[in-house]
Amino acid sequence: MSIFQTIRKYLSLYKAFFKASLVADLEFRLNFILLVLAEFIWYSTQLVLYEVIYRHTKVIGNWTLDQMRVFVFLALFVDSIYMILWDPNFSKFNDEVRKGNLDLLLTKPINSMFMISSQKVSISHLPCLAITGVGLIWSLLQIPDFNWMRLFWLILMIPSGLSVIFVGRLALNSSALMFSRADFLQYVWYSLFRLGLRPDAIYNGALRYILLFVLPFAMVASVPTRFLLEPIEIGYVAWAIAMPILLMTFMNWYWNFCMKYYSSASS
Amino acid sequence: MKKSFIAFLRRNLAFSELAIVANLEYRFNFIIDAFVQPLITVGIEILLWLAIFKISENTMLGGFSKESYLAYGVWAPFLGRIAVSWMYESMMVEEVASGSINVILTRPISFYEYYLSQMMGYKFITTVLSLLAPFAVSLIYDLPVIYSRIPLALSLVFYYLFLIHTLSFVISTFAFFMTRVRALTLVKNLTLWLLAGELVPIDLMPPYLSKILLILPFSSGVYIPVAYLTGRVDAELISQGFLSTSISILIACAIGNWFWKKGLQEYTGTGA
Repeated sequence: MSIFQTIRKYLSLYKAFFKASLVADLEFRLNFILLVLAEFIWYSTQLVLYEVIYRHTKVIGNWTLDQMRVFVFLALFVDSIYMILWDPNFSKFNDEVRKGNLDLLLTKPINSMFMISSQKVSISHLPCLAITGVGLIWSLLQIPDFNWMRLFWLILMIPSGLSVIFVGRLALNSSALMFSRADFLQYVWYSLFRLGLRPDAIYNGALRYILLFVLPFAMVASVPTRFLLEPIEIGYVAWAIAMPILLMTFMNWYWNFCMKYYSSASS
Repeated sequence: MKKSFIAFLRRNLAFSELAIVANLEYRFNFIIDAFVQPLITVGIEILLWLAIFKISENTMLGGFSKESYLAYGVWAPFLGRIAVSWMYESMMVEEVASGSINVILTRPISFYEYYLSQMMGYKFITTVLSLLAPFAVSLIYDLPVIYSRIPLALSLVFYYLFLIHTLSFVISTFAFFMTRVRALTLVKNLTLWLLAGELVPIDLMPPYLSKILLILPFSSGVYIPVAYLTGRVDAELISQGFLSTSISILIACAIGNWFWKKGLQEYTGTGA
């Protein structure tokens, strides 16, 4: 099978997943509206935090309020994409393992990581994606003399940031195969992800390098925001290209490693 | 009268112990939940406050010192973790939605009481163990914490838990009428998180907003106890917290009771 046929196969599968998710999510309309509302509340909290703090200070790290808004909206925009594509699947992963449903997914003639991460699409996050996208454009309009051509950098930076979230979450979930009860891994993820929701300028010394190169949460929104607002550093461009490849290679190895510990839970 | 009270106490203690044992069974899970997650949050929040003060020309922000914000940043995530109910609310909703509530309805204990005593047991053990961390950090870094105020501050948090549980009870009764209730829990808990003042101290907000937030009972979960503990407010606000929480419990109980009765009329218990 050629690479184009493979891509077409996965795209048609993804289309089927999307349709099924749309029908499932819209079946319970009140629940759908409440989920959208919950996401708006969550995103509002991130905005409120900085709006309140900037009432008392002019700069955090080296960003003004206008620049910080670009960062927050970009972080939320990337988060929305992640939520739409993968979050519902990762959230139920532990249950799938515990109940034995993972067996069924592993027997499909499809890449197991794709099957586990993409079966369900979160339709309720689509409005959030639209709103945060509009918010990002609005925040960029507040930046004097903003060069709109810089938005093209996001074509590189957003997938790069998404690879951090995808691999981070899947790696933690894969570790669940080694434990009998692993709800705590979800808690760890939510805490770690907060690192990406804060500008990297607040981290100093070794921690900053860790967040750039070891647990690269700074690549989710902080570095992309710098690409929009500050002079481009070529080293970051190279890292943004190399990092997703390294992360996916690691993930592929780690997934196979963890699968050795998996013992079927179904009968 | 005395006998029935002793019986009431015994059965509630038994369910509390059950919750403690059940949660400590998976120790690693518990440690992450009670220590690691709030500690990571504390670390991130402290770095944020340090960055704010590093650039700011003033040594004070909103009338309070850097140390005061660090103390707030250390205690708020831990109390915030105590003053919320995700796990037990999910269990209550699931119990009603799946019909397994039949088992509890036939027992000599109410659904409300059964889960209240379990949640309190879980919160008790979480409090005892997890608060060692902010306590130690405050001592080591000599943060402005008034330790003699801990009992009253924690009393308010635990009193607030009665309101939290009653709200969980109200949400769970919706499962009698709706197929999916999880989104309600999400909306409610995120709203409470925003209103409780865990994210940012309420006194930093615009005055009109902070007045409203302090009148609402939800600041009794995090802001009022932490602000009292760190010397930002005095006992008067604690009294106000007890009062607003009491009124809210009464209102929530009335609503919960009404929905519960309506729900039971709608409910058809099935299963063998």
